Amino acid sequence: MPTPKVPNEERLFSLVLALLSTENGLTKSEILSTVQGYRQRFVHSGDNANLERQFERDKDDIRELGVPLETIEPPEQAGNNQNLRYRIPRVDYELPEDIKFSAEESTLLGLAAMVWREGSLSEGSRRAMVKLRSLGIETAEPVLSYAPQLRVRDASFEPLREAMDRRVLVSFEYLKPGEQSSTTRLVAPLALVQHQGRWHLYAKDPKTEQFKTFLLRRIVSDIQRSKKTFDYVTDDAAAQALSGLEQVWQSNVAVLRVEPGTDAATRLGKRRGAVLQPDCMLEVNFTDVNIMADELASFGPEVVAVSPPHLRSAVIERLTRTVADHG
Amino acid sequence: MAKKIPPLRAQDKLVFLLALVPYLMDRDRVSVAETALHFGVPEQNIRDAVRLIAVSGIPGDTATYQAGDLFDIAWDDFEDNDQIVLTHLVAIDDTPRFSAREASALIAGLQYLSSLPEHADREAIATLTSKLSRGASAQPTAVAVESSALDETLALIRESVAAGTQIEFDYRNSRGESERRRIDPLRVESVDADWYVRGWCHSREDVRTFRLDRISKPAMTTEAITHTAGDVNLPETLFDTSAEDIEVTVEVARSAIGLLGDYVPEDAVLVPAGDRVRTVVRVPHFHGLKRLIAGLPGVVTVVAPDEARRAVAGWAQAGSDLYAEQR
Repeated sequence: MPTPKVPNEERLFSLVLALLSTENGLTKSEILSTVQGYRQRFVHSGDNANLERQFERDKDDIRELGVPLETIEPPEQAGNNQNLRYRIPRVDYELPEDIKFSAEESTLLGLAAMVWREGSLSEGSRRAMVKLRSLGIETAEPVLSYAPQLRVRDASFEPLREAMDRRVLVSFEYLKPGEQSSTTRLVAPLALVQHQGRWHLYAKDPKTEQFKTFLLRRIVSDIQRSKKTFDYVTDDAAAQALSGLEQVWQSNVAVLRVEPGTDAATRLGKRRGAVLQPDCMLEVNFTDVNIMADELASFGPEVVAVSPPHLRSAVIERLTRTVADHG
Repeated sequence: MAKKIPPLRAQDKLVFLLALVPYLMDRDRVSVAETALHFGVPEQNIRDAVRLIAVSGIPGDTATYQAGDLFDIAWDDFEDNDQIVLTHLVAIDDTPRFSAREASALIAGLQYLSSLPEHADREAIATLTSKLSRGASAQPTAVAVESSALDETLALIRESVAAGTQIEFDYRNSRGESERRRIDPLRVESVDADWYVRGWCHSREDVRTFRLDRISKPAMTTEAITHTAGDVNLPETLFDTSAEDIEVTVEVARSAIGLLGDYVPEDAVLVPAGDRVRTVVRVPHFHGLKRLIAGLPGVVTVVAPDEARRAVAGWAQAGSDLYAEQR
């Protein structure tokens, strides 16, 4: 009699239940021969290679959800793969008792979850919200309706984020501004940060041990993931990256002459840290001269970059190019 | 707001099952309808999940899934009254932890929203962030967004919505014309670093989108609002389009098509033209277009109509002339 196929979620659910309730762990053959979804396909004293591969994939899928599926090697039987035991320690599985969320916090998290609309962070937000609802908190509707969105237009974002999770080195072609051809970089990716609306990769060069920051939009190739892992301690990598970018931003000051009563005057004047001098001179910080030059060029005759000289010439170059392209 | 519900993968269904059990455990008796509402899913999903939970469990001492090893529910109450009552529990006690990726998605989302009035209590946000970190089964991936100062305009908008009064401000449009506008705020939206408020504009008697950084001198009025988010159907796209829009043909580097954002409709036809692609954007006038194109020098070129090319060239030329005067 053919056995009806057990749905994937039922097999995964049964595996989690079985591993949660074992103290000493279960061996692979115990799992395959007894757990719902595997046992129906288990061949006693036969070849279970397919089923073993299924189990490997299931372990990955479950771990990806934050379920701490651990492997124990009995000391007296070290080295024997068949005797590895699997379990899910309850204390690492369950949300700690003291972590509770108020209705206001739940509202804030609901908004934060809306921010990602695509890719793995959107999927992650969605799953986190399901877990949060498990706690039964009622969410208050925000007074004002919001629809925030962070778009990740850079194709390299997702592969880099995944490489960070796996802690493997990556290589890519990087085009430095002002250079005609790209160079290949091999780095340990430590953090992805958004500063002034642009995504940056913070990474360590394993050869020189130097930290470097790359602008994602200047990565001009696919991300090649290497098999080599790294083990740098990276607790505050994101904070380091942001403070580094902040320092660059602080130290770059553009002096601009803005035409009063224009779009440029309103929008540039509203930038963080912008200081308007009495003579219509506006001081504005920036991180990257090329990006700043693009932004200033878009304002046409509403703004003139007075200094620094390299910003000034970059704007002139852009305006000239646009005129030439549309002549 | 209509939300697209992506098809659920086995992993998502598993998360749902692991989250649903503790929710049901905390309630002696709960209806399918209430549970569906709480989790924001169709009622049928709840029924399917409850049916699966009710026949799931652990292999148990006999390794044969005996009755005592399985969950059980009050079947009559479930079948006849659509009520869920768990009568026997196994393996699960509590909500699962967040995965590293789930926690980092929410943490970065919170950072992105730091200019919102809801984030005024910075200490509360820091506490919330640390709860997410502690509630994750591994250290959250280093994805971070630069935090920004609280936005005073947003705070005032929220205040006026709470009070039910109209808000007014000076608004300079892309033509460079400034006008005092009075609106009923409906929704605040953002795309990356750009923030918008959409509202019922009393001067135009229609829904309009306003860039926050073009708003100056905002003030609450004592006039009651006439439209709320509930009774206006907001179009999905941020830009207000009309039948009188002008079609403009542009050539753009394939990799840079994303930089044109909402100007390019999702169903736009992209025709290869050498190493670039040709497509059509629709604009109400050339004022926004000339700014957009001048800000993407060498990346996008307007091909037709001539009038649009002249508008772009004229804009860049006028900017360039200012530099020539000062040399």
